[in-house]
Amino acid sequence: MTRRLVASLVSIVLLSSGAFIANIVAGNFPALGLDLQGGASVTMTPVGEVDEAALSVAVDIIRQRVDSIGVAEPEIIRQGNTVVVNLPGVKDQQQALDTIGRTGAVEMRPVIKVAENPENTTTTTVVGGTTTTVKGGTTTTLKPTSTTLPPPSGGVGSSRTAAVTTTTIPTATEDVDPLTGLPQGQTILPGRKDGLIYLLGPIEATGEVFSNDSSAQVDAGAWVVVAKLRSGAAGADVWNALSTKCFAGVADCPTKAIAIILDGEVISAPTVQTPTFDNGSVQISGSFSETEAQDLARVLQFGAVPVKFDIPTVQTVSASLGEDSLRAAVLSGLVGLLLVLLFLLFYYRLIAIVVIGGLALSGLMLWSVISWLSKTNGLALTLSGAAGIIVSVGVTVDSYVVFFEKLKDDVQLGRTLRNSAARGFDRAWRTILIADTVSLIGALILWQLTVGSVRGFAFFLGLSTLSDMVVSYFFARPAVLLLAKTKMFNRGRVLGVAKAKISEAVA
Amino acid sequence: MAGGMSRLFRGETTINFYGRRNIGFIASGLLLLVTVGSLFTQGLNLGIDFKGGVAFEVPVAGTMSEAKAKEILAANKIRTDNAKIQTLTSGSTERVRIQLGDLLVETRTTIQEALAKAANATVNDVSVSTVSSTWGRNITTKAINALLVFFLIVSIFIAWQFEWRMALSAIAAMVHDVGISIGVYSFFKLEVTPATVVAFLTILGFSLYDTIVVFDKVHENTERFSGSKVSYADIVNVSMNQVLMRSLNTSISSLLPVLSLLVIGSGVLGAVALREFALALLVGLATGAYSSIYIATPLVGILKERSDQYRSMRGHLSLGVDMTHLMQTGAPVGRRAAARAASDASQGVVPAPVAVETLLSHPPRPRKKSRR
Repeated sequence: MTRRLVASLVSIVLLSSGAFIANIVAGNFPALGLDLQGGASVTMTPVGEVDEAALSVAVDIIRQRVDSIGVAEPEIIRQGNTVVVNLPGVKDQQQALDTIGRTGAVEMRPVIKVAENPENTTTTTVVGGTTTTVKGGTTTTLKPTSTTLPPPSGGVGSSRTAAVTTTTIPTATEDVDPLTGLPQGQTILPGRKDGLIYLLGPIEATGEVFSNDSSAQVDAGAWVVVAKLRSGAAGADVWNALSTKCFAGVADCPTKAIAIILDGEVISAPTVQTPTFDNGSVQISGSFSETEAQDLARVLQFGAVPVKFDIPTVQTVSASLGEDSLRAAVLSGLVGLLLVLLFLLFYYRLIAIVVIGGLALSGLMLWSVISWLSKTNGLALTLSGAAGIIVSVGVTVDSYVVFFEKLKDDVQLGRTLRNSAARGFDRAWRTILIADTVSLIGALILWQLTVGSVRGFAFFLGLSTLSDMVVSYFFARPAVLLLAKTKMFNRGRVLGVAKAKISEAVA
Repeated sequence: MAGGMSRLFRGETTINFYGRRNIGFIASGLLLLVTVGSLFTQGLNLGIDFKGGVAFEVPVAGTMSEAKAKEILAANKIRTDNAKIQTLTSGSTERVRIQLGDLLVETRTTIQEALAKAANATVNDVSVSTVSSTWGRNITTKAINALLVFFLIVSIFIAWQFEWRMALSAIAAMVHDVGISIGVYSFFKLEVTPATVVAFLTILGFSLYDTIVVFDKVHENTERFSGSKVSYADIVNVSMNQVLMRSLNTSISSLLPVLSLLVIGSGVLGAVALREFALALLVGLATGAYSSIYIATPLVGILKERSDQYRSMRGHLSLGVDMTHLMQTGAPVGRRAAARAASDASQGVVPAPVAVETLLSHPPRPRKKSRR
């Protein structure tokens, strides 16, 4: 028993100080957020006349991109018609440009083949394919045919450079693209959420075939997206040429499906149900949830009036609060910590040294994780994040308080510390576990469902809660259990209370 | 006499929290009333991140600098605490960007001219543009949706671990805490920034955490007393007296760093940005600790007293000596014992000491026989 306690104690101390030293040696330091350190500021000016609604959709799409790159808290501001994106902690201006400067055009390509994405381990089942019909027409739901396809080349999130060899692709007579090994114009793109990959023919239409009033509607109890075609050569004609071809299921479009693509991801690939759309209205149906339908409608609206930005300019931007705020926060945080420790030493006497050790370990762990994530995921510590950590001191200390109060009760009832430590911890651990689990649930939900600084908050909440649990179990438990075995902690007024004097208590 | 402090220190208090629950409810009700009133009459003072505003950009030349910009703003009677003043650098050119909340057109022009003068530039060199909020509508929507999901899942978790009455009360306490914190912001017209939202979320998290710890004690005692006829009001009182010290210690430990942030950080070191954030946290943490004891737990008591199991004992309270007895032995004082205790007390007789062994919840382990 003792040996296991010592092992736990030694390994947690070694692990956290090792991680700390490793980060220092590797030169990883916590990156600071926009408010404390500044970062890169990318200014994007749209070309020509801009549609107000389209610009706000563009801003939403930029926000999605920026949020998908890491845990930092970027700022996106519309300044008149220009869009300013501030990225914290980004030193490399080219990196900032790469993050934001993607085309953002909506394209349509015929689907040649659909397959499960081999790179996607958590494949979600496709809930029925989507279909396009003339509004009011009948819809039948088709499942995409599944055959194996090579993984997407250069798809989002994959850094694939090797040439993809394919044998299942119908050999076209056109030139073969030397890079991908696919016939010219063809490409393989991943679906955004369906866990599929698509072999696609060349771009045959852009989002501009639709007018910008696509909307999500309820039709016969299901969510559908209705898009209006622009009339004439630039709109309906282009679309109808594509739909006629796909409806016929010619070699170029054997699946009869048209993929709608944004930023290199297939948003939706509806199967064509009618050769031509004469009344100018296209209805896309499928097992959409309301959000999915709204998202698709938004993509189509954006594609209809794409906002083209000038080559963005990058500037470095200084902190809005500055170093002295950070210094003040850190200094007052340390003073606060010292006061807490003094208070605990006064209240729980000698055993409070366990708290000091535990807080030091939590500190080392938080530092290591934050530094490491700053390096790898672009995490940036903002002033509110720093203050959040200061508040988490209270919750961390609470675990010890719960534990020590249990011990105190037992000692008062006449047990020795040696006797009560293990039992006391089991009880306290239950409380700590339940309370921390609730905090973790909160952190996970907020992390999953929000953006911006709320997300940053959720991250730090989760991190400090986890470190609290780890330190309580692997440090506080063995430390107190071992100290409880020593003579010193079984004499006199341990924890500031004397042994059982029940009669006095009752009096 | 062992003073009140000493009894508190040893966890020997016998405060009748449940019997005085209305004090807490009335106080909180009044505060929430003020909150609602203030929200309707004054609303919230939303900062530039929520409302958008005006941005100036000035080339750095002449006497222009971030400090100079602050001076100019101060000269025009604009609060600089929440103005965002930053330097933009690209290559060798530097510009100062100043973002402010909405301004009157005249003020805007005055500032533009002042900035131009400081930078030895023409008025046209100082660009003025309206800026949108960085905190878009969809961030708010997402955050609210996330909170609703959070409430739902946390309720399910609490209902599963404890019971649904506690889930309901915990949520009520959280809403109460955030309500009062928002009230403070509205009443004192403090500016709401993204940092404030983070502070409110921190408060929510802390309040929930604190409530769960208290509930865990109530839950433990419910199981402990399940064999004997003890009213729920007694369980609540016993539990709250038992966790009182824990709650006080935790509150002190959480408030000390925040107080230090407020007094030392923003007071002595003058980091103004910290002030309102620390203030929100201070108010929130204090209400969070208060609501666990004065709102959440009494609410559970009220709900639970009406349940089938406890209805027959409703209204019964063990006070003073009886509560101590209950706390230590886990058994209620019978009518006869109560009468004796009362007569003893009136005659100044000290009750006989209870043997330590009888108070331990499990008998000592029997001594091992010989070695094999």
